[in-house]
Amino acid sequence: MQFNVNDSQQVLDFIQKAAKIGTWQVLLEPYEIQWSDITREIHDVGKSYNIELEKALDFYKEGYSRDKITYYFNRCIEQGEPYDVELELVSAKGREKWVRAIGFPVLENEKCVKVQGLFQDITEKNKTQKKVALREQQFRKTFDSASIGMAIVSLEGKFIRVNQSLRNMLGYTTDEFKTFNFKDITHKEDTTLGDKKFAKLLSNEISNFQIEKRYLHKNGSIIWASLNVSLVSNEDGTPLHLVAQINDITKRKESEKKVNTLLEITKDQNSRLLNFAHIVSHNLRSHSGNLEMLLDLMKHEEPEATDNSYFPLVDTAVNNLSETVENLNQVAILNTKLHEDLTPTNLYEAINKTKESLKAHILENDGSIINNVPKHLIIDTVPAYLDSILLNFISNSIKYKKPDVAPKINISTSFTDDNQYLILKIEDNGMGIDLNRHRKKLFGMYKTFHKHKDSRGLGLFITKNQVEAIGGKIEVESEVGIGTTFLLHLKHEIN
Amino acid sequence: MKSINTLYIIDDDPIFVFTTKKMFDKEEICKNILVFSNGEDAINHLTPLMDANNEEELPELILLDLNMPIMDGWQFLDEFVKHKTEKKIIIFIVSSSIDPNDIQKANEYQNVSNYIIKPITREKIKHIASEITALVN
Repeated sequence: MQFNVNDSQQVLDFIQKAAKIGTWQVLLEPYEIQWSDITREIHDVGKSYNIELEKALDFYKEGYSRDKITYYFNRCIEQGEPYDVELELVSAKGREKWVRAIGFPVLENEKCVKVQGLFQDITEKNKTQKKVALREQQFRKTFDSASIGMAIVSLEGKFIRVNQSLRNMLGYTTDEFKTFNFKDITHKEDTTLGDKKFAKLLSNEISNFQIEKRYLHKNGSIIWASLNVSLVSNEDGTPLHLVAQINDITKRKESEKKVNTLLEITKDQNSRLLNFAHIVSHNLRSHSGNLEMLLDLMKHEEPEATDNSYFPLVDTAVNNLSETVENLNQVAILNTKLHEDLTPTNLYEAINKTKESLKAHILENDGSIINNVPKHLIIDTVPAYLDSILLNFISNSIKYKKPDVAPKINISTSFTDDNQYLILKIEDNGMGIDLNRHRKKLFGMYKTFHKHKDSRGLGLFITKNQVEAIGGKIEVESEVGIGTTFLLHLKHEIN
Repeated sequence: MKSINTLYIIDDDPIFVFTTKKMFDKEEICKNILVFSNGEDAINHLTPLMDANNEEELPELILLDLNMPIMDGWQFLDEFVKHKTEKKIIIFIVSSSIDPNDIQKANEYQNVSNYIIKPITREKIKHIASEITALVN
């Protein structure tokens, strides 16, 4: 379209279109109302639509908007007052819009003869403003009522705004906060703690960071906090300020400290125990060994001394001492060496080996041992431990047989439901154990040193420790007069 | 038959030394027994003999304790291996320690032929005697 800047009507049309601003006028003598194209567009009516003044005002939303425009329009005519208002409109197509309506009177002889005005659709602008207002409100409410401490901090570190939780946490008032740089209320050892991360935040390498640091409460006490800082920038990326979220973790820090102290004590006690185990292993052993050697020599060099009635008592006492030391050594070694490598071992053969070494004992008691373990089953174990475990269980079954009943020991295997463990079942027909009375003592250390006619000194305590050392566990079922079944859960090779 | 001319016992425990000497005497395995109560005394005595390669006076067998004051068994071994001798000197560690780490460590020394756990019994002495005879001959 050719555009002539000198044609004022053309210029006006152009401005109307470009700015989406419509014009209108109302002549009073006689009544006539005129709308420009844009004004008609905003009302969603065509060029042929015939407007009546009363109907024109009816486009305004019933209630506040219609009342207002009626008031301002009438005042304009009667008192010559111009107006500029933002109101809601419902178009001919039923669309709700925000419009800016400007009206001013044209006076002749101090009497209004017509009203002219501008009319603009401001719906979009208004929506955006409202959204911003809503967000601002949401943020403010979240900020003010958050249960964690929050602060808006300038890039220089000055507090701009703080919430109630932070005031409660650190004990200062808002006015006091506003005089502080955050470093003023930071523990002096922690003032440079977040500096590197802060630099990264400012250069946009990271969007937020988290540190743990100490603040100083108004009353002088130290508050441990977990601090999360994020940067707020404007649309072109210029940093504006920081939002800090501060969580009081003093209680957690205190319990961490307690746990650490306990851990230190435990470590210390553990090392003293290891040291004690070493003393037992070495020092006690050398003394009991010397006693044994002296007695041994005495027997051969001074045979007449053995006639002394005290000699056999001393001899027995020395032997018992040596055996006790030996047992203590077993326990000490077991506890100091828990991480031995496991070796694949054939279980069937290990059981047969044990049977062989107990052969005389089994024959003497007319016992029978039925090895029902599959011949090619391989388990992961420390072979010496496995031998000791089997020896202990089988010899126990024979030792605690029912009087006058030949001991019969059935050994078989199965697997746990999840196939994680092999279960080795050692079932005997012996005296049985009253588990209600003895379950707790069964694997206790006392048993280790309990004397029995043919005690091997290696009680269930050591056996249990050995089983645990190879990653297994023991369960027991027993009934007095029926027999005892031990269930050993062992690691096996999963094929 | 005395298969050992000279035996050194390096041990700070007088009762162990007393009983061990008695047992060796009774088995008539060695002619001379020299006793040192720590590693330093022993190495001071041995060094000139080794440097002079004095085969006559150097021992055939050393019974070495591990835990001793001043210079312990390990420190003695570390000093001992620095010297070269033409005479073969057999070292047996004799200790109360049943710590597998000690036994493992002993295996790492070429000069150490055996690790005997205390107490020494007459059976062990006899065993040592036959082992020495095999090693010497």
